Amino acid sequence: MRVDVEAVITSGFIISLLASSIRAGTPLLFATLGEIVTERSGILNLGLEGIMITGAFTGFAVSFLTGNPWLGIVLAGFAGMALAFVHAFFSVTLKANQSITGLMLVLLGLGITGFFGRDYIGQVATYIDPIEIPVLSSIPVVGEIVFRHDPLVYLALLLAFVIWFLLFRTRYGLEIIASGENPEAADSLGVDVDRIRYLSTMLGGFLVGIGGAYLSLAYAKLWTEGMTAGRGWICLALVIFSGWMPQRAILGAYLFGGLDVLSFKLQAVGFGVSYHLLAMVPYVVTIIFLLFSVIRKREAFGAPASLGLPYIRGKRY
Amino acid sequence: MNLRYLTPVISIAASLVFVGIMLAVMGINPVEAYTVMFTRSFGSKFGIAELFVKTTPLILTGLAVAIPLRAGLWNIGAEGQLYMGAFAASVVALKMPLPDLLILPTMFLASALMGMAWAAIPGFLKAKFDLNEIISTLLLNYVAIHWVEYMVYGPLRGKEVYNFPFSDLFSDAATLPRFFGTRFHFGVFIAILIAFIVYYILTKTDFGFSVRVVGANPRAAEYAGISRERVIIYTMLFGGALAGIAGMIEVSGIQLRLRPAISTGYGYAGIPVALLASGNPILVMLSAALFGFLYVGGSALQTTYSVPVAVVYVFQALIVLFIIGGNSLIQRRG
Repeated sequence: MRVDVEAVITSGFIISLLASSIRAGTPLLFATLGEIVTERSGILNLGLEGIMITGAFTGFAVSFLTGNPWLGIVLAGFAGMALAFVHAFFSVTLKANQSITGLMLVLLGLGITGFFGRDYIGQVATYIDPIEIPVLSSIPVVGEIVFRHDPLVYLALLLAFVIWFLLFRTRYGLEIIASGENPEAADSLGVDVDRIRYLSTMLGGFLVGIGGAYLSLAYAKLWTEGMTAGRGWICLALVIFSGWMPQRAILGAYLFGGLDVLSFKLQAVGFGVSYHLLAMVPYVVTIIFLLFSVIRKREAFGAPASLGLPYIRGKRY
Repeated sequence: MNLRYLTPVISIAASLVFVGIMLAVMGINPVEAYTVMFTRSFGSKFGIAELFVKTTPLILTGLAVAIPLRAGLWNIGAEGQLYMGAFAASVVALKMPLPDLLILPTMFLASALMGMAWAAIPGFLKAKFDLNEIISTLLLNYVAIHWVEYMVYGPLRGKEVYNFPFSDLFSDAATLPRFFGTRFHFGVFIAILIAFIVYYILTKTDFGFSVRVVGANPRAAEYAGISRERVIIYTMLFGGALAGIAGMIEVSGIQLRLRPAISTGYGYAGIPVALLASGNPILVMLSAALFGFLYVGGSALQTTYSVPVAVVYVFQALIVLFIIGGNSLIQRRG
């Protein structure tokens, strides 16, 4: 079957694709930003998938029970923070292997939400709806693509700059980066490395949880078991792709948001390739992007030098 | 008694208590629920057969994680390798005109090769470009699962399945023999035999030695002239083959056709199975049996109280976390 090019353009295919890329990219942006903060402090949290699904469930359940989706978003953040606290406890206090703990968080998050989520499948909660920004939303094309989203889309964008500022323009950010690059030196300069790592991991978990809640309350507008479908892992790749820079995460998140919606959109215009094959694309492209990122020089790309290594005072690795 | 041996026991008990609390929150009496789990697993020959049948894929995926882990590599892709193995076995079963006696061996070989091929991608990328194998193996799981869905919705969809996304049933020659009037199938023996072979290879051969050296001390391996790249690729291929065989055993021993959701997270469960056994192939059988029990018990809870099987994941995660926590407490005291 051939795609009718003219129909695709006139039906606003491109416009709606770009607009939905931004929406689909927003949960990825929240989670990627959160993991950037965590990894900058030297903690590798592989549990994003589990934290995101916990956020998605908590947000949905709270909104369903209270009718207030914003409360859902906030509590989802705290649920994410709680799981991140577990990771911090194992990684910082117990000096355990961070990969194992992170992987177990994935199982824990998927398990707990699958368990308690049973009764919420097929339910309808109160969702977060798009707003039309006055004046700007009536600009042709651009207005449709950029200015007709829900407030969280703009919050995520703002957050990218807030986190950039936090990391590179404040003393607190300096301490985070120092803890991730060279904890011994940071320690000798009076930085409480353990405290910084705890706080960064928990702040990261908070944002990842919100990203999950965005999925259930603003993007998909439903709850199903395992609905994150690997997005947490894609965000881990996006962190590498963005070179641990918050501002670069924006592009990556929207790009992968776009890949996410492309398969649905192509189906809708009668593109003759199976949905199941198109659904593979985001995962394959993530691996290819990751490959490009690692082929370029690692130093130039800015992985925190002590990422994933426990810090024990007086002991060198 | 040495605390080290006590940790797993305490961890399992603590996990039972934690999940018991979760059950109570859902309004289910945990004591009754655990009684159901036990009686349904050990109370009849069907229950015991199910224990073996659920343990079988876990032995193989546990080994699929354990072998690369010995070399310091995380194979989180056993789930996808299992799916690809099931796919390859199904193509042989459904499409290849072979003499009856050759069908099962060909399926076995095809599934091992396909699982290998699937694991070769992250193995190669890790060896050549140092691409994080945790992310790549995991992402390939989603690709494999979508591939099997594509197959059962498309090219391999059966003629007599109405609108279900199933392949046709395999012929008798393509299904593993069953025993005792239960689902206990020949695959159980295959998995146990493989575990012993893996044990032999890892402990008694040069290959096993080089794997252990690379895992323990990559720099020493370099001085000893052991190629780290080769060990990375070989252990991933080895693991992938075993996960692929698990896929063949699932379709030809249990499902008897290709369909979506052939595995309820067996590949992921391989991670705690391998960790609990500290990567020892003989102990993998024991820890696989424990998790097999959780699967059988979990589905008993599902049919009795309609508790989602996801509760099994909670058990898996908690047991491992408690063990890590316990071990690190012991280390600090010592």
